[in-house]
Amino acid sequence: MAALAPGAQARVGRMVEAIARIMAYGGGVMLTLIALMVCASIIGRQLDGWLFLSPIRGDYELVEAGTAIAVFAFLPWCQLKRGHVAVDVVVQALPPRLKAFSGLVGDVLLATVAYVIAWRLWLGFGEKFPYGSDAVRGVFGFGSRPFFPETTYELAIPVWMPYGMALIGAVLFFVTAVYTVWRSLNWVLDGQEGMA
Amino acid sequence: MTGLELALAAFALMLLAIFLRVPIGVAMAVTGFVGTWMVLGRPSATLSQLKTLTYDTFKNYNLSIVPLFLLMGQFATKSGMSGALFQAASDWLGHRKGGVAMAAVGACAGFGAVCGSSLATASTMGQVALPEMRKRGYSDALSTGVLAAGGTLGILIPPSIILVIYAILAQQNIVKMFVAALIPGILAALGYMLTVAIYVRVRPGSATTAERVPMATRMKTLAGIWPVVVIFGLVMGGIAADWDWTQDGVQALFTPTEGAAVGAVLTGLYGVFTGGLTWAGFKDSVLATAGATAMIFFIVWGAQLFNSFLAFTQAPAQLVTWIEASGYAPLMVLTVMLVAYLVFGCVMDSLSMILLTIPIFFPIIQSLDFVILGYALSPEEAAIWFGILALIVVEVGLITPPVGMNLFIINSMARDIPIQRTYVGVAPFVASDLIRVVVLVAFPGITLWLVGVLFGT
Repeated sequence: MAALAPGAQARVGRMVEAIARIMAYGGGVMLTLIALMVCASIIGRQLDGWLFLSPIRGDYELVEAGTAIAVFAFLPWCQLKRGHVAVDVVVQALPPRLKAFSGLVGDVLLATVAYVIAWRLWLGFGEKFPYGSDAVRGVFGFGSRPFFPETTYELAIPVWMPYGMALIGAVLFFVTAVYTVWRSLNWVLDGQEGMA
Repeated sequence: MTGLELALAAFALMLLAIFLRVPIGVAMAVTGFVGTWMVLGRPSATLSQLKTLTYDTFKNYNLSIVPLFLLMGQFATKSGMSGALFQAASDWLGHRKGGVAMAAVGACAGFGAVCGSSLATASTMGQVALPEMRKRGYSDALSTGVLAAGGTLGILIPPSIILVIYAILAQQNIVKMFVAALIPGILAALGYMLTVAIYVRVRPGSATTAERVPMATRMKTLAGIWPVVVIFGLVMGGIAADWDWTQDGVQALFTPTEGAAVGAVLTGLYGVFTGGLTWAGFKDSVLATAGATAMIFFIVWGAQLFNSFLAFTQAPAQLVTWIEASGYAPLMVLTVMLVAYLVFGCVMDSLSMILLTIPIFFPIIQSLDFVILGYALSPEEAAIWFGILALIVVEVGLITPPVGMNLFIINSMARDIPIQRTYVGVAPFVASDLIRVVVLVAFPGITLWLVGVLFGT
């Protein structure tokens, strides 16, 4: 059977890979910055009051928000490389096309889950985002404006900011997952799985 | 349908989906979502919970240890530490019969002290030690078997990703779990070395001996492993040692998350200093960390949905009542659980097994009164002890066929060796693991002693 627009799939695939790679690098830089910030904070805490040193205020919540953003940014890369663990010992015994089909089922389910994650995170973002008139908010499905915009404990960072950055990763996770469905479908049509 | 029946049916369907290659995180999330819908009669509660659940799971301060330790492990693989460790170990042990295989175990243990992942340990040490063993005429079975087994030391010796997940699920102190893992981890390394010694006596043709290395050279190469000692000492010392004797209790220098950050930065700096961690190497490390982190967090996320479904069915509580009423001996219940891990470990990965089973097994363990050799374990002691036992048996799954990731990784480095020969070679090491589990079950003190010394429990 002929694959579904294999040329276009390859082109889109290269684009998705480039984006997923940039997101993963971005998450890695974020993670590295968190680690450096934590080290600086520990040094500041031990030598508090000496020279200008002091612990970094709100380091705890910076770790939390930073990790969350980084993990969301990592999701597209993992999906593109078929990094999510699955048990393939049973399907290993099946003919290659059936094996490819099991991969397609997995990717369709994963794309559905990725959609739910992004959709609910979008609404969660809307509940924390304190701007916009009711009409504009209605268009985005945000509901009524929150009375108190939620902020973090020490630095009082509005929570919609890290949510918004997480949303980028969640949406790209869904986009990547949709692409992998296309890719798996073509693998089924080809009769065997290619390299992820 | 009662809650217990629903939970059992859902569990069976989920396992079926998993064996049909549905990603495990997806299978858990979908089962949890649909199951909760059936219990409550509506999906709205879960949907509304999902607005914050994903972000809240990913921002968990304790879970942030995971990506930081993964990054540290990746930096360590690039830093040249593996080569220094193997050089030192083989200078000290290489002249014995089978000594290079013992050295590989020792180097794996050392690398495990800066790396919390078995697969990374197996692949890094494999690259260093496998060519050396083959060059020196070690048999295919022994050289691949010992490295696959040695790789599991990556996670048995703290820091350990699986222990972090266990501690979060079972609401135990991560530091105490790490401390408890230390002595069983060292025992694992010694057990593997002993296994090599016996192996080469039973099969004298499987190994060779080398020239004895002069003491001056030995001391020099031993000094070469200082970065591992310093980094492990600072990370573990910083999170577990008492730094202020004037105050009561253990005043640690930093939290486990901070310890992981310190470890990642120090390992990275050392890698840059030695020139092993180039810009390209950094990008590689980030991509590997990204893949592993997303995989782990995604399963943890799915497990949250599944576990809240289980809680709604009240199945874990009913199971506890049933086991209490049945009057089974606690040790027998424990044995059944450990055997279940061994069986499932043949086809499943360790993290998924822990996430799937701990919500069910852990309440049962806590409800049982373990009295061993006249000593009654407190609930906290039982929790720590069970965590270490579970860690060991799920790790055995990495080296048991048909699906043992460590076996595949080592075997893929030597394509000319048939995988069957690796299966044969690893069998004595699996036996050594099983003997160690029996010893640790019989003597909980081995696991709990150091925790007691440091924390006075």
